[in-house]
Amino acid sequence: MGTGSIFNIGVSGLNAAQASLAVTSHNIANASTDGFHRQTALQGTENPQGTGVGFFGRGVDVETVRRAYSQFLDNAVLTAQTQGSYLDTYNSQISQIDNLLADPSAGLSPALQSFFSSVQDVASNPSSVPSRQAMITQGQVLSARFQALDTQLTQMRTGVNQQLTDTVTQINAKAQSIAQLNEQISMVQSNANQPPNDLLDKRDQLVADLNQLVRTSVVKQSDGSYSVFIGNGQTLVLGNQAYSLSAAPSAADQKDYSISYIANGATVPISTSTLQGGSLGALLDFRSQSLDTAQNNLGRVAIVLAQTFNDQHELGQDLNGNLGQAFFNVPAGQVVTNANNTGTAVINATDSSVGALTGSDYRLSFNAGTWTLTRLSDNTTSTFATFPQTVDGVTLSLASGAAANGDSYLIQPTRTGARDISVAIADTSLVAAAAPVRASAAAANTGDGKISAGSVNSPPPPNANLQNAVTITFTSATTFNVTGTGTGNPTGVAYTSNGNITYNGWSVQITGTPAAGDVFTIGPNTAGVADNRNALLLAGLQTVNTVANGTANYQSAYSLIVSSIGNRANDIKVQSTAQTALVQQTTAAQQSLSGVNLDEEAANLIRFQQAYQANGKVIQIASTLFATILGINS
Amino acid sequence: MIRISTSMIFDQGVFNMQNATSALLKTQNQISAGRKLLTPADDPVAAARSLEVSQSQAITDQYARNTDSATASLGLSDNALAGVTTLLQNVKTLAVNAGDGSLTQSDLSSIATALRSNYQQLLGLSNSTDGNGQYLFSGFQGSTQPFAELSPGVVAYQGDQGQRRVQISASRQVESSDAGSDIFQLIKTGNRTFTTTAVAGNTGTGIVSPGTVTNAAAWNAAGNPKDFTVKFFVDNTVSPPVTTYDIVDNTTGNSLLTGGASGAGPYLRTYTDAGTITLATQSPPDTNPTPFDYGATLSVSGQPATGDSFTVKTSTNQDIFTTLNDLITAVDNAQRTATGAADLFNALNTAQSNLNNTLDNILRVRASIGTRLNEVDAAKSSANDLSDQYASTLSGLRDLDYAKSISDLARQQITLQAAQQSFAKVNGLSLFNFLG
Repeated sequence: MGTGSIFNIGVSGLNAAQASLAVTSHNIANASTDGFHRQTALQGTENPQGTGVGFFGRGVDVETVRRAYSQFLDNAVLTAQTQGSYLDTYNSQISQIDNLLADPSAGLSPALQSFFSSVQDVASNPSSVPSRQAMITQGQVLSARFQALDTQLTQMRTGVNQQLTDTVTQINAKAQSIAQLNEQISMVQSNANQPPNDLLDKRDQLVADLNQLVRTSVVKQSDGSYSVFIGNGQTLVLGNQAYSLSAAPSAADQKDYSISYIANGATVPISTSTLQGGSLGALLDFRSQSLDTAQNNLGRVAIVLAQTFNDQHELGQDLNGNLGQAFFNVPAGQVVTNANNTGTAVINATDSSVGALTGSDYRLSFNAGTWTLTRLSDNTTSTFATFPQTVDGVTLSLASGAAANGDSYLIQPTRTGARDISVAIADTSLVAAAAPVRASAAAANTGDGKISAGSVNSPPPPNANLQNAVTITFTSATTFNVTGTGTGNPTGVAYTSNGNITYNGWSVQITGTPAAGDVFTIGPNTAGVADNRNALLLAGLQTVNTVANGTANYQSAYSLIVSSIGNRANDIKVQSTAQTALVQQTTAAQQSLSGVNLDEEAANLIRFQQAYQANGKVIQIASTLFATILGINS
Repeated sequence: MIRISTSMIFDQGVFNMQNATSALLKTQNQISAGRKLLTPADDPVAAARSLEVSQSQAITDQYARNTDSATASLGLSDNALAGVTTLLQNVKTLAVNAGDGSLTQSDLSSIATALRSNYQQLLGLSNSTDGNGQYLFSGFQGSTQPFAELSPGVVAYQGDQGQRRVQISASRQVESSDAGSDIFQLIKTGNRTFTTTAVAGNTGTGIVSPGTVTNAAAWNAAGNPKDFTVKFFVDNTVSPPVTTYDIVDNTTGNSLLTGGASGAGPYLRTYTDAGTITLATQSPPDTNPTPFDYGATLSVSGQPATGDSFTVKTSTNQDIFTTLNDLITAVDNAQRTATGAADLFNALNTAQSNLNNTLDNILRVRASIGTRLNEVDAAKSSANDLSDQYASTLSGLRDLDYAKSISDLARQQITLQAAQQSFAKVNGLSLFNFLG
């Protein structure tokens, strides 16, 4: 034992205290650094020196600097944040639709109500030009409202595409950084054989950031590097190698971007269903679950409204005495040909029965002579070999060409409905408020039989003989003969009071007791400018259940969109609140272990300062001891 | 003991303050918008329900507006028909006046002049228009003049039998117009079952009554030809002269009393002044082996001459203008002789029956209009009640409970203030404060 060893012990203590002070200062400096885990300098005793009288300590040694890290706690935060980020992104997207539908004075409802009010006004004043003009104008306002709503939804679709591109750019950047850190870490670790804590923190933070963008699975390799996998197991990072994703127009529908994986220069689409979690998953889910549904269902309301209104309008007669024309331009469904198709087949989709439209999209694919049609809302399929085929009110036909194996088509019967609806007539005289036929009883009739005004049978087009003059002549109180082109001139037809008498596409009812020789005539409604029979029928459409196989009227079909978006937004909001609390809790647990507490660090500062001072004292004493030795000879 | 990191203290504090702020902001938004539902997500069921209720309310309000339009057009029709009623009552009075035997020829022609002016007035009323210049009584042909005088006294109906309807409630359409044909044109003559007429050229003073149906079933029975002539013969060879009559079935030309051809007379039944002439077998004196009973009676008063005859025919429809024109012609052509007086009386009787029928028809239409006006009024008040009900449902779904929201706001304000103050306090605590 000598004073030298006391010196050495003092110096080792001085060094250890200095190291701990450095680590404490590092902790204080990084108290608010994202992803930082507090560090501690681990001290241990030096190996003792054995002597005949026992082992003497040789001071202290700093063994390593360790970060307070728990993979379990960090993973819990990461998982919670992935779902939290998914819900936040979904929430911010769906809030846009929610807000769009929010204002009771700006949605579709007021325009729908004003339009039908204007139809009622025409019914009350069928010959009034201002009333007719109001009906056309309100029809245009209604179309414009449909279009405005559709424009907003289309803008959201474009926004989703833009955000997908941005997100993919960020994912690629993160992957690149992780790959670089992998390289640095494995190099540093093998050289120093000590953990590079700050680099590890940085990489863990990048993984956490990446998981907020999309859910990944991370495997730690033996060399300390992270392998990151995405989707169905596609490698995003392997060692120091990063692969990239791309967002580009999808082959099935060029209006929607899809995500592809770039490997060896080849672009392979990743199935949307495997990209879950994070903001990327939220964007894709929002588009397929909420945006498509809202736009399709809004389009369906527009198409059904236009078609059913037209059907009735075409059974009427305008102010010029002509049969009614189409009031609205009915939007057509669209067929998107897959960009990768090799065949030449051109498929047409036309509405054959608008009431049966579902609001879903369909995928039509061809393989080995068989066509398979998949309804995308519930993935039910039907197969067939020949065209035309009618499914859910849409008739599919092969316009030209032939399909090759693997060809597919996306059928969107209602996607563009709200975009394409418009009013087809501009001239007020073309509003068909009147019915094209009228009935009358001859003035010379002796019986008290009364005939109804007559109505035109649906559906259009009206019978070609509709406006031919037809005479009903009673041969007795119980039978009559019918004469007129198109009727087949039946004789001795049995008479029932208030029974339907139907010829040439019209129906009338005769009530009372006609006498033999009584004559009733049905003919064109010439100059019937004050007739409002068709306007009343048009106005009545407002409350008729015409949508979704006769289960909803226009308004309730729209309400359905509002309530389904509202429900989804509400659901997401509730989940988001719960998830925020979960993130908060897991972060608190993680921070409890890894976070920096400044009070604690302040205490450590004092502690290590005192340790430093104490060790200094040891050196001073050793020095005094040494001086004592020196002083013996003096 | 749980270790707390300094950044956690900040994060938690900020998180709590953000929550308090967003709750405060939402309440503030609700108060400033006056709505409980800011977006459908706040209450999806109420949001969808409120859309449907607002449509129901809009429709109900529209029905109320429709009733206004129905009331207006029914009111216009009723006004015009009230004018027609007054006019017809005037005409009836004039017709009664014309029957006064003491009138001179010039008195009659001034009555005829008055009748002509009434005729023109009637033509005007039947062509009444609404505020938009549309004819009230032309059926569906609002811009076609319904009644046009083709030649003096001949008026043709140019409209149709259409009736415009107005939707006054979800399940009810009420007729807001009436066709001119129904009001002015399709009016039965005589006693509405049959009509009696003195044949032109009668030389006696016989005046025929309108007649009555005593047995409707017999009149409507299948074998009734509904076309008869009552012929008179005066036997002047006896004193006092005896007047007899025959009833002839015009479809066969045979006498119903004998069953054989009707000769020149004398006939089987004896005429008494104003006595009942029954269209049924009276045996004796009838000898017809096939008895008949057509369930009708009429009477003739005055003294018919030989060869005078009166017809009994089934009623036909005759328009109001023909009735009036016939009356004017009769008054105009009246001769101041015994025969002429009888002709005038017969014509006035016919005119009175027809005028009564016309007036009854107008009153029937007016009663129907009145009933419809009542229905429309009732529909309007029920539409207004319903609209109020919808408004209160909507208010329950959408509107804010201000008292509750303002107290919420105050509470949330206190929460936020407390969070802010405590945050500042907690953050003031640091060991570094004591390191000097």
